[in-house]
Amino acid sequence: MRKGLSPATQPRPRPAKRERKGTAEARLQAAIRELKDIKAALDEHSIVAITDASGKITYVNDKFCAISKYSREELVGQDHRIINSHYHPKGFFRQLWTTIGRGHVWHGEIKNRAKDGSIYWVDTTIFPRLNGKGKPLQYVAIRTDITQRKADEAALHRFTGDLAEKNKELEAIVYTISHDLRSPLVNVQGFSRQLARACEQIKSTLTHSVGRASPMVELQAPLEVAIPQALRFINASVNKMEQLLAGLLRYSRAGHVVLNIRPLDLNTLLTEILAAMKFQLDQAKAEVQIEPLPSSLGDRALVNQVFANLVDNAVKYRDPTRPLHIKVSGQIEAGQVLYAVTDNGIGIAPEHQAKIFNIFHKLDPDASSGEGLGLAIAQRLLERQKGKIRVESRAGSGSTFYLTLPKVGDESIIATP
Amino acid sequence: MKRSAPTILIVDDDEGHAILVRENLAAGGLNNPVEYFRDGQAVLDFFFKPNPDRGVEKGRVYLILLDIRMPKVDGIEVLRRIKLDPELRKLPVIMLTTTDDLREVDRCHQLGCSVYIQKPVDYDKFAEAIRRLGMFMTLLLVPTVNSR
Repeated sequence: MRKGLSPATQPRPRPAKRERKGTAEARLQAAIRELKDIKAALDEHSIVAITDASGKITYVNDKFCAISKYSREELVGQDHRIINSHYHPKGFFRQLWTTIGRGHVWHGEIKNRAKDGSIYWVDTTIFPRLNGKGKPLQYVAIRTDITQRKADEAALHRFTGDLAEKNKELEAIVYTISHDLRSPLVNVQGFSRQLARACEQIKSTLTHSVGRASPMVELQAPLEVAIPQALRFINASVNKMEQLLAGLLRYSRAGHVVLNIRPLDLNTLLTEILAAMKFQLDQAKAEVQIEPLPSSLGDRALVNQVFANLVDNAVKYRDPTRPLHIKVSGQIEAGQVLYAVTDNGIGIAPEHQAKIFNIFHKLDPDASSGEGLGLAIAQRLLERQKGKIRVESRAGSGSTFYLTLPKVGDESIIATP
Repeated sequence: MKRSAPTILIVDDDEGHAILVRENLAAGGLNNPVEYFRDGQAVLDFFFKPNPDRGVEKGRVYLILLDIRMPKVDGIEVLRRIKLDPELRKLPVIMLTTTDDLREVDRCHQLGCSVYIQKPVDYDKFAEAIRRLGMFMTLLLVPTVNSR
């Protein structure tokens, strides 16, 4: 048996002429009904437009009007430039026209601009209707709104970037810990061995001194040199490890603090910081200038911590040969609030500038106390509030730390995952 | 003519490590003079800003044991600066550090270090590594520093 043969192809007896005419009309009606239904289905799902061969819009469906926010009257007679977002390069549309002008179907994703300026993305198929010679008569464009998908893709891209950055950060931390924690371990083991050797020596001296007058001379070296030295290094190493672990914990906590994001008045915040640090600033004879600061979005306590750390650093790394000047200023730049904390301190040489934000990095351990965590934590706290920190500095003339935070009104950016 | 034994320059921000290295070199039979530097800047000053108390001497031989992670100037930068100098670049530089990051090993060799050794955390292995290093160093023929 032959399969797939429709009844229409089966040979049929030829009907009478009148009957034939009636059937043809009925079939035509049926075909028209079917086409109407297919069109209705298409309109229900897709954004549809038809243009003439020159690209002038001759038809748009309701979905087209809805997404473009133009009325049918505004669209018909125009070409698609009315919704051009100027996102795509010229070559993009040239290639589109070359394809459909040759009678081929074009498929792609287009970013458009609606009447109200809002942006939308459409997945587009343009189908040329051709005349007998293969020349396009009309173009039928069928589109699907993919704005959300595009937004999701962009978000995914951002997250991937963030994740890669986090991974790098994590690697740096593991590297740091592997070195910084191993170092004191070597000392603990090594000097414990020195202690053991000293004990052996004392024991042996005492054993051999039975009956002799005084073994004091032989005991002097282990008791006065080796043992105190070993104890000193073991203690220092254990303290160092403890300090590293405590620092690590502090750094880790900075990544988990619950944020309370709200608009912040940086002018009062800075005034409070300076009041709290008055003693320290007076001692350093620091002159602090605060320009009117724009508000931003952030967690009050954390932003306070970051600025306090920067002012504290300016005091710590001041140039003793001249009076310390600190200036805090701010402005809105590129849709964010940019603050600058400038000092005239010792500055940072170019080769050290990237490292100062590394965990446990200290340029000069003798120059100041602390474990090299302040800026690493400041960076982490700002990142959590969608902010950033960077430094510009010249060795010998001072540093400016630039901080960005989201501006008031951009609350949606800080939506924490 | 018998060559003089090279002065070993130990550059390590951890003074404890420097003492342990020195003791174990001695235990391995090495009696060379040793100088200790607590960071990269100190050893760069020794070479590039010598003063009467402390500084490179013409006609002497030196061998550098260099840690990487140090404050002020790190070991990589010290290595780079030494290998950029037409005269000092002859000096053997042995990286002796707690990290075993392969990229770091790569970088040091690219910059021209002679040997890269990881300090073992286990002290027996540490002592053994340094003793062997000492024996190895007795075999090295080290060029003298002529002028700068």
